Amino acid sequence: MTTIPRVSGFVLVVALLAARAASAQDPRLEHRLDSTTLAAVGALMDSARSAGLPVEPLVQRALEGTAKHAEPDRIIAAVRRLAGELGVARASLGRESSPAELDAGASALRAGVRPEDLTLLRQRRTQSLTVALAALTDLVTGGVPPDSAAAAVLALASRARDDQIADFRRAVERDIALGATPAAAAAVRVDATLHEVTNAAANPNTPRKP
Amino acid sequence: MFEHDDDTLNRMIDRLREPVEMDPRLDARVMARVASPGFGMRVASAWEWLRRPRAVVISPITGLGLAAAIALLVWFLPTRAPARGESMASDVTPVQFVVVAPGAESVSLVGDFNDWDARLTPMRAVRDGRLWTVTIPLAAGRHRYAFLVNGARWLADPSAPRAQDDFGSPSSVVTVGG
Amino acid sequence: MRAGDQAAYAVLVARYRARLGRYAVHMLGDRDDAEEALQDAFVRAYRSIARCRDDAKFGAWLFGILVNRCRTAGRRASRRQRMFVRDDASLARAAAAEPPEAPDWDVSIRRALDRLAPALREAFLLKHVEELEYEAMAELTGAKVSALKMRVLRAREQLRALLSEVERV
Repeated sequence: MTTIPRVSGFVLVVALLAARAASAQDPRLEHRLDSTTLAAVGALMDSARSAGLPVEPLVQRALEGTAKHAEPDRIIAAVRRLAGELGVARASLGRESSPAELDAGASALRAGVRPEDLTLLRQRRTQSLTVALAALTDLVTGGVPPDSAAAAVLALASRARDDQIADFRRAVERDIALGATPAAAAAVRVDATLHEVTNAAANPNTPRKP
Repeated sequence: MFEHDDDTLNRMIDRLREPVEMDPRLDARVMARVASPGFGMRVASAWEWLRRPRAVVISPITGLGLAAAIALLVWFLPTRAPARGESMASDVTPVQFVVVAPGAESVSLVGDFNDWDARLTPMRAVRDGRLWTVTIPLAAGRHRYAFLVNGARWLADPSAPRAQDDFGSPSSVVTVGG
Repeated sequence: MRAGDQAAYAVLVARYRARLGRYAVHMLGDRDDAEEALQDAFVRAYRSIARCRDDAKFGAWLFGILVNRCRTAGRRASRRQRMFVRDDASLARAAAAEPPEAPDWDVSIRRALDRLAPALREAFLLKHVEELEYEAMAELTGAKVSALKMRVLRAREQLRALLSEVERV
């Protein structure tokens, strides 16, 4: 029977061509992934690109997997998962979102934040959401329940600067490390931050913290 | 009565566990003591030795080679060591990474800012090799990274939030405002 | 190179300040003394960081230096107190002359802790506030696990008694 070798040969040629196409998309992957994995990751990147999603986060996730000597299946699964999360982030944050916002949004969704809360954040905050989304994600991965974290960041969204939100997240993290319950730490610190934001707005000449 | 007493004791313990704010200016006071003249005696005398002018004789070809090396160095190195949070350009911020890794022979900073290539950002040993540090410019956004010790062991940054893990080894995240 | 050392160490100081500060404040009962002990601990750690053997235990090693600093600071503070004449009977009479108010809870906690012997206070704080295991406490303090357990038990008994006095007021 010669059909099977010819089919195998055909599949091999297709895989090589697909790998060549994928590597044409990003040469960094060519040197780090085997041809089969390259083809699969390349296909995911193509789909993401067609959907208007950023592909750099997908490249980086694949590169992280190779650096950590992960199994090919695991790398492909990670890239597929991230591509899905980027899609949901875009649907929640809007088509005009920047790649950094989408990447941060994908992380937030992965952490357990609801898509509706991402949409609310977009509605309440006029400037870039990257830092706010990152703070939200870090609060949740640090132990604050997703709904408490979202409530806290949404409360700050319309008034706090990026550096104030970042300081708020760090303060909550410190309090948790010192034994405070995560939800309580977030609630206490959001009140303190809102107070600080209100004072700063009332006294615009007060110097900002370095 | 015993349970009531324990309730009171537990209330006391809960109260004592609450965070205590320390004056952040304490950091500056510590560093001022660390940098005090008593500390710097050996450094000062070494600096004096370096400053003193001396005649150096080199061949023309050695001189050309040195000049080329200096030119390359100037091209690739940052022009100064800026303070944390101060931007070198409008869209990048220098961020310092520090990890305690005594006994390590090498530590690299590896992350999405260097395509997860462990060769690109080796860290520098300080304090007799107990601390490892590097400062790199990062663009605004969220960056995943980890430390690679001796080319084999992945270490998350204990001072940074954890990244969600896809590959069974720890990573951290740093967010740079933009 | 020296500037790089210090910049790197400054990152560690900022990282550990809050965590260590809580213990120092409760152990010494005086914020100025606590900050001084904390500064001393950080400076000593910088000078002797070559002795820290294990990156995973840096925090614990630093904490051990702080525990020793607090012991030294505590001895200095008690010498200062002995310079003033203490007449507990007169103090008790003076206090009884005015109707006692319900004490603030934080003040009550502080008074109760101050009434503990330093070794008992240290063991109680390390076990119940810093939530260390007895083995870790033994490494930090140099005391045996059995002795530490006894100290924690006695501290709890004394604190229960002191706090119930407060509640009866």
